[in-house]
Amino acid sequence: MSLAAYDWFFDLAGLREWCNAEKSEGTLSMADLLAKAQGGALETSWWEIPFPSLDTLNKSCDAVIRTRDFTASIEQAFIGVKDKLKVVLDPLTQPLSWMLDGALSLFVNTPWWLLISLLLIGTFFASRNVLVTIFVALSFFLLAFIDHYTYAVQTLSIIFVCTILSVIIGVPIGIAMSKSNAFQRFTIPILDMLQTLPSFVYLIPLIFLFSVTESKLYGIAIIMYAIVPVVRLTDLGIRLVDKDVIEAANAFGMTSRQKLFGVEIPLALPNIMAGVNQTIMMALAMVVIASLVSAPGLGTLVLRGIRNLELGVGLVSGFAIVLLAVVLDRVSKASLARINTAHSH
Amino acid sequence: MAQDNTSQIAKAPAKVVIRDLFKIFGSNPKKGLQQVMNGVDKSDLLENYGQVLGLRDINVEIGEGHITVIMGLSGSGKSTLIRHLNRLIEPTAGEILVDGIDVMSYSKKQLRHLRQSQMSMVFQKFALLPHRTVLQNAGMAMRIRGEEEDAIEVEAYKWLERVGLQGVENQYPHQLSGGMQQRVGIARALTSNAPIMLMDEAFSALDPLIRTDMQNLLLELQKDLHKTIVFITHDLDEALKIADHLVILKDGHTVQQGEPQDILLNPKDPYIEDFVGDINRARVLRVRSIMQPLRDDLPASTNDHVDHDDTLESIIARSDGDIAHAYVVIKDGVPVGTIDMTAVLKSLVPRVASDSGARNY
Repeated sequence: MSLAAYDWFFDLAGLREWCNAEKSEGTLSMADLLAKAQGGALETSWWEIPFPSLDTLNKSCDAVIRTRDFTASIEQAFIGVKDKLKVVLDPLTQPLSWMLDGALSLFVNTPWWLLISLLLIGTFFASRNVLVTIFVALSFFLLAFIDHYTYAVQTLSIIFVCTILSVIIGVPIGIAMSKSNAFQRFTIPILDMLQTLPSFVYLIPLIFLFSVTESKLYGIAIIMYAIVPVVRLTDLGIRLVDKDVIEAANAFGMTSRQKLFGVEIPLALPNIMAGVNQTIMMALAMVVIASLVSAPGLGTLVLRGIRNLELGVGLVSGFAIVLLAVVLDRVSKASLARINTAHSH
Repeated sequence: MAQDNTSQIAKAPAKVVIRDLFKIFGSNPKKGLQQVMNGVDKSDLLENYGQVLGLRDINVEIGEGHITVIMGLSGSGKSTLIRHLNRLIEPTAGEILVDGIDVMSYSKKQLRHLRQSQMSMVFQKFALLPHRTVLQNAGMAMRIRGEEEDAIEVEAYKWLERVGLQGVENQYPHQLSGGMQQRVGIARALTSNAPIMLMDEAFSALDPLIRTDMQNLLLELQKDLHKTIVFITHDLDEALKIADHLVILKDGHTVQQGEPQDILLNPKDPYIEDFVGDINRARVLRVRSIMQPLRDDLPASTNDHVDHDDTLESIIARSDGDIAHAYVVIKDGVPVGTIDMTAVLKSLVPRVASDSGARNY
């Protein structure tokens, strides 16, 4: 006797025995109890027939698992492999923690006047643009004036490390993709997934794998999110290199290495740099979200604004993030423009 | 200019020999090759088997120190053919012998060596490295070979000067005009010091005046350098001007090959007749092609001397339109034949008189 609408299916399929073998008079759900209390074989009308989901089928046949068992088993499986994974992943990713922590303490502990001067000198040499340099200077003075300097510098240090690592890992992947169509077909779905996955979602397995106090947790999340554009644009850039020039390189007997470093990468550089610009912007977007998993910086202020309903704190830190974004964008775009003029033809 | 070589054509040893070369583009070239061997033609092969016939049964000998011109309209397979010589395109069947050795047997390393130091190439769209200066572009081949930077610079300067490009060594290619860019392309090929030079429609992208300049430059260089040049063009005037040996391609096979004068006077098939119909024959034909060989005595009526390599145009100019004139033909200071103005006039009309030229006048 039950409410179940799909009894007939298991009866017809001759699976009743298999179902009952699992039967245990254990816990009953509230619905079952109610049904018992009403004590009737209520026929379900065709209008109300439920979708044959796991939970519905479970009512007819105890051998079918419920959805909550299903998610729990995924969790169990994850916990099961976690220790083995950690043995491999921990030493592999430990340097990331060191780099992030090192950069963080370096940026924070450098006196403000020295750090700002260094940043401005760097900006000038990258962009060769006085206006951009002045803009960067004003932005930092403003951030410092409203006492957001330390937070901004923390965010900057994380972006700094993650962007460099994204380029170091991403450019070779992009080159490999441009050389092999098979590898490209294999990689593109992964890149699509990394790009479309809501950013919160890939924090979840990471939280399982690493403790929230480790900085590599947010480092990995940021790199996975930010690496996509530099990989894509490296691949694209190398594939777009003028076929005639490549043919000339071949006709004069260049080795693959000479072709890659002497022709392909230099000619793809404007595209690669556009990818780096995007990578920087995505790293900034992710570093704010990563404050959920203890990434320091401006994101923590936004989080405080939301959690404690401190409207002013949230808004001002949001503004500071925008300012930082504009600074990073202008500097990288100005450097890109400089490379483009050097390559224009 | 070209005439210095044309008279010695038959004696030139072959530097490159192309033997029974076939190229089929498509999913199954081997099967396509069988069909072609069985006599299926280009359009049938495409329609029924989905394979594209690139080249069919090409046999060409490329004489050492000569300019061999391969001419054909677009789609005739001429660019495909020249890329077989350095194996930028792999043949479906056939042999390519350079100095008697089959290039097909080369390993990757040997092939690279061949491209680095045996064959240089000049491209229609110049294909210079846009991020390198003119000087660096010119020295490209030597840099690929890994030679000393000082030596590269000396050579690059030398050849840039030779092609008339002093003072732009430190500019970038995009700062130069098309004609100058192609001069860099030629300097790049010369700096590699390879005995064989492949020129793929090298002057086709240039405007007519610059093109004439470049043709003259090439002939002038060739007078001293005696490179083995394979030159691709779709322009018959250009072909006739620079060719020692002319190969005419149509739909992937050779229609006729030989000395250009000979092709002009004896076109083998209507396709070529069509081609040569529009040519200014007075400017292309030379005295030696239509003269009467000398009999024992000099005819009394001849009253002037012409060189055997003079064009008919120059004879007509000298005769001042007098049809009764006749000349003694001199080669290396010795009389070798006679020519009269009637023969000159007759030779100006193609075997099949064309009336297409008259329409607009």
